[in-house]
Amino acid sequence: MTAPVDAVERAVREEFPRILATLVRVTGDVGLAEDAVQDAVERALQTWPRDGVPDEPRAWLTTAARRCAIDRARRESLRHGKESQAVWLQDPDPAPPPESVVRDDLLRLVFTCCHPTLSTEAQVALSLRTLCGLTTAEVARALLVPEATASKRLTRAKQKIADAHIPYRVPSDAELPARLRGVLATVYLVFNEGYAPSSGDAVVRQDLVDEAVRLGRLLRDLMPDEPGVLGLLALMLLLDCRRAARTAPDGSAVRLADQRRHAWNARMAAEGVALVAEGVRRTPTRPDPYVVQAAIAGCHALAPSYEETDWDAIVAWYDVLLTVDASPAARLGRAAAIAERDGAEAGLAEVQAIDGLAHHAWWHGAQAELLHRLGRDDEAAAERTEAQRLGLGAAALRSLDASLAAPPRG
Amino acid sequence: MPQYAALIWSTDIEPSDPAFEAMMPGYNAFGQEAAAVIRGGAALYNNATATTVRVQGGKGGDVVTTDGPYADTKEALTGFYLIEAADLDEAVVWAAKIPAAYDGSGCVEVRPIIDFG
Repeated sequence: MTAPVDAVERAVREEFPRILATLVRVTGDVGLAEDAVQDAVERALQTWPRDGVPDEPRAWLTTAARRCAIDRARRESLRHGKESQAVWLQDPDPAPPPESVVRDDLLRLVFTCCHPTLSTEAQVALSLRTLCGLTTAEVARALLVPEATASKRLTRAKQKIADAHIPYRVPSDAELPARLRGVLATVYLVFNEGYAPSSGDAVVRQDLVDEAVRLGRLLRDLMPDEPGVLGLLALMLLLDCRRAARTAPDGSAVRLADQRRHAWNARMAAEGVALVAEGVRRTPTRPDPYVVQAAIAGCHALAPSYEETDWDAIVAWYDVLLTVDASPAARLGRAAAIAERDGAEAGLAEVQAIDGLAHHAWWHGAQAELLHRLGRDDEAAAERTEAQRLGLGAAALRSLDASLAAPPRG
Repeated sequence: MPQYAALIWSTDIEPSDPAFEAMMPGYNAFGQEAAAVIRGGAALYNNATATTVRVQGGKGGDVVTTDGPYADTKEALTGFYLIEAADLDEAVVWAAKIPAAYDGSGCVEVRPIIDFG
């Protein structure tokens, strides 16, 4: 029975993180484990299209990877002229680990890849490689760097994990909240780089968004009780559900107010809203910033049109958000909601009251937009120039120019 | 068990400076608290006593010495502890207890030690 190559690639990629996680536990060496799993993957890509995908692809790949790891470890010890005594080398074909063990392995791998002693760049590259199963070439494309750079980044990270003994374990209860925040921040960074790329011309880089959502789903499967995990997945789904409406046929960005809402993905929106509800239920005392941001995105998803948006609710959620995240970005979001609820004048006063944003392009962009709505076009033009000078992204600038050219609304 | 060098980067002062005396109790306390994991260490004389050595043209080439430390920063490498810990997490926990990490005078750099065994 043969199998089409893309089905094989999909099956292999689906299993990659779990098999890798198991091999890391067995060998205690991320680099060796990755090489061995890669060997096994290549073997599968050669034989499965011809022989068909095995009934239990994960067991097949795990066994193959173990054997490859043993071969590699033996070759390595021969090269150094000393016999390795590692226990795992003695038993090439143990029973495949039960699902609960595989889950624990994977959870450990998540916390190793997002260890705070690794640079953010290294965490992102490692997560894409090990948790999303991207090849090094795919990681390079995702991060817009040459393959040699991605390869070096990954090698250096794995070297630090091995040489500095970064532990392969789930943090203790006391450490968990802080460490989980780090994991969520890394995943959200991947999402944002896809949803609002900081470089390049594209309005969205859907490949990165998809990887981030995939990571979010993985975390939800592994930690279904953590509100932050539910909130982050909800937030990503509720933003990504707009994907078909965010880009105009000519490739330019479409602002939220102008998006065709029937093009939003209703299934993703519904899943996101359900996750928000669950996240809120699990945070009765202290709000979680991701859950609250997802609630705001949920208000948009539930509104039949921009004009019918419940701005009262959105401003109220921003007030909740500010109690746990008083960042300038959160305050700017609240100001924009005030502008919709109470008018551009009130919104502009809120925007201008935010300190410390003078060097941020989008702070000036937000003012330009509100000044235009008030008919103060000379000031709007000056703010637009300042936003461009401070490096407002090409897509955002096009979108700003479009709204400055349009007749001011309300 | 892995060993780590906890390199102390902090204000560059001479041992004769009264501030040096003032900082000692914190380090003495750490030395007592971490006695079980400390495998070695030393306090270093100030940056002005450092000599940076480079050999030009490969091994056996011209030895060029420069007065002063390698990294020209405000902080100086002022000492180190050799610490034994189960993993990097544990080493970081110890490093965070070293005064330079928390007293505003600088920071502590943790480096794994190569085991040639």
